[in-house]
Amino acid sequence: MPARIQLSHGDGGKKTSALIKEVFYKHFGNELLEKSRDAAIFALGDRKVAFTTDSFVVQPIFFSGGDIGKLAVCGTVNDLAAAGAEPLYLSTSFIIEEGFEIGQLEKIARSMGDICRQVGVSIVAGDTKVVEKGFADGLYINTSGIGVVMESYIPRDLLDGDEIIITGTIAEHGTTILALRHGFQNEHICSDCKPLKKIIEHLGEALCHVKCMTDPTRGGLATVLCEIAEFHNMGMIIEEEKLPIHPHVQTLHQILGTNPMFFASEGRLVLFVEKGQGTKICRLICEIEKDAAIIGTVISDDRKFVRLRTPIGGQRILTILQNEMIPRIC
Amino acid sequence: MGVENVDAVHKMIQRIMLFSGNARIMEICGTHTHQIARYGIRSLLPKGIRLVSGPGCPVCVTEAGYIDTAITILDDPDVKIMSFGDLIRVPGSRSSLQEQKAMGKDISVVYSPEDAFRAAAEHPDKQTVFLAVGFETTAPLFAALVKQADKMNINNLFFLTALKQMEPVLHHMLGTLELKVDGLICPGHVAAITGQNPFQIISDKYGVPAAICGFEALDIFAGIHELIQQISDKEAVRTANLYKRCVREDGNTMAKSLIDDVFAPADVVWRGIGMVPDSAYVINKRYKRFDALERFGIRIPDSGRPNTCLCGDILLGKTEPGGCPAFGRTCTPENPAGPCMVSSEGACSAWYKEMGEERCLQESN
Repeated sequence: MPARIQLSHGDGGKKTSALIKEVFYKHFGNELLEKSRDAAIFALGDRKVAFTTDSFVVQPIFFSGGDIGKLAVCGTVNDLAAAGAEPLYLSTSFIIEEGFEIGQLEKIARSMGDICRQVGVSIVAGDTKVVEKGFADGLYINTSGIGVVMESYIPRDLLDGDEIIITGTIAEHGTTILALRHGFQNEHICSDCKPLKKIIEHLGEALCHVKCMTDPTRGGLATVLCEIAEFHNMGMIIEEEKLPIHPHVQTLHQILGTNPMFFASEGRLVLFVEKGQGTKICRLICEIEKDAAIIGTVISDDRKFVRLRTPIGGQRILTILQNEMIPRIC
Repeated sequence: MGVENVDAVHKMIQRIMLFSGNARIMEICGTHTHQIARYGIRSLLPKGIRLVSGPGCPVCVTEAGYIDTAITILDDPDVKIMSFGDLIRVPGSRSSLQEQKAMGKDISVVYSPEDAFRAAAEHPDKQTVFLAVGFETTAPLFAALVKQADKMNINNLFFLTALKQMEPVLHHMLGTLELKVDGLICPGHVAAITGQNPFQIISDKYGVPAAICGFEALDIFAGIHELIQQISDKEAVRTANLYKRCVREDGNTMAKSLIDDVFAPADVVWRGIGMVPDSAYVINKRYKRFDALERFGIRIPDSGRPNTCLCGDILLGKTEPGGCPAFGRTCTPENPAGPCMVSSEGACSAWYKEMGEERCLQESN
């Protein structure tokens, strides 16, 4: 590991994971933390509870489809949803740079309040710190959240033939930030940032067929698939042709030579469902998310490769994000 | 994520599968290397056809001395460096620009050289230096910028150039170094600027089959198909232009005249390949005041051949990435030892992504 922090230590890819293992796990690692799931799941009384935290440093703080406040609520609510939990209470902390416009702060707070009401969660604790001008970039927000895990959801090992579903078009949040940073924005490229609670509620009892869920944020779809393959000691085959992608997003990545499979979503869920249940579950999700699609299957492979079958029938192997594509997307 | 012409691609693959001989085909251009990996093209070819990567990734052939020079220029706290993304990860002999950035040096990654104008205007107190790296494809863009800067009388914008030409390196590889390949896939983008002429020598002078190709799956398969036909019938050896939708015989005359207006040829060291006479584009006398070397009064040092990896042999097609002892071990995309691993267009990086980490280790064992 290099002697100093580089931007790529925060991209959610390989370097982030090495940093977490070599510095944080070393000093405060424990069984729950080291599962490195979207949220920690543990028992409180007779209920299973999910708990998570996330900080938001996105730049620019206002973007097409959302702002840092909406992102801060959705990010934590979605980590709870990916753990199969109904989100209940959030806390939030603001680190604000001296000189930040209070009007803008209120706009951000309003969008947080709106999303909380929409989801049915409450922010019940908070903290505010202000640092001198030049010591932060506008503002940073942290949110933590707690929720109760749905009884119908029982995470378990993946097996050969299990089906992989994504709930909508990929890479839209990361691409929106990329486009804004480099002056390529157009009205068709818009962040997918939104709460995922509805999908979990809509699945209801059908969650019993879902074995594992995750939200493909930093590092994108490729990174989360590789992480899950690694965790479950299984391989995967992903059909590139089945991946839902907005044509404007695909075009921008073609122009810039970037790979959308490494770009974040902030309103999508990846579900691994029992073999034979994929079509039924996908159809159910399509009732509220029209672009949901079965994108591949889990296969036995002791090398744990995630293979992408290209539209012409070729194969390549997906790896987790190796280098920062663009910093501070969330 | 779809691909156009899937049926046509499959027909082309069926015809290529009939080839029962052996052929080593080099794709010169880094974008071809990238696309071959992206489409999984190797997995669809008969065993006898091996694709090897050439020297057409500009980042890969940029000398460590160039990076060292950029870092030296940054010793001046008034300097702001602007670069394309891949370049900042290239290891110099002591450090990389990425490491310098983490130390607080002023380095920005941009997608368009025009950002340099904005930076120069917004920071009149700073000397903005743009790292101008590329081939005939990017040279006209930098030429246009230099001319515009001259016209606008901008005096705080400079270019540290590592611009290279294709034809001299082809001569060097096929002639001086006696490169052994059975066919060359030629870079369609370069040809769109230069025209077909510079590539004609491949078949006419050196008798090697050549095909100028575009970058979609069908373009690449069509190129491979053309080459194996030429390999099977020596009488048919030619430089085929399969990218006529972009490549005119005389190329892009406006772009060529921009290059001629601003740049002059010079000798330059290609990383891993060595000195290639007259293969660089350097800023000519008329526009010298925009040359960062002139402004800061320095020269690019000759840092010699890097000895930790076999990038040079890989660029010449003498070995494949799996044949390098560093590949996948001390040289990975996150910690590149050589330039072929740095650029997403580099042969090693493309191989690494295509094969996955563990298989890389198995290959290099």
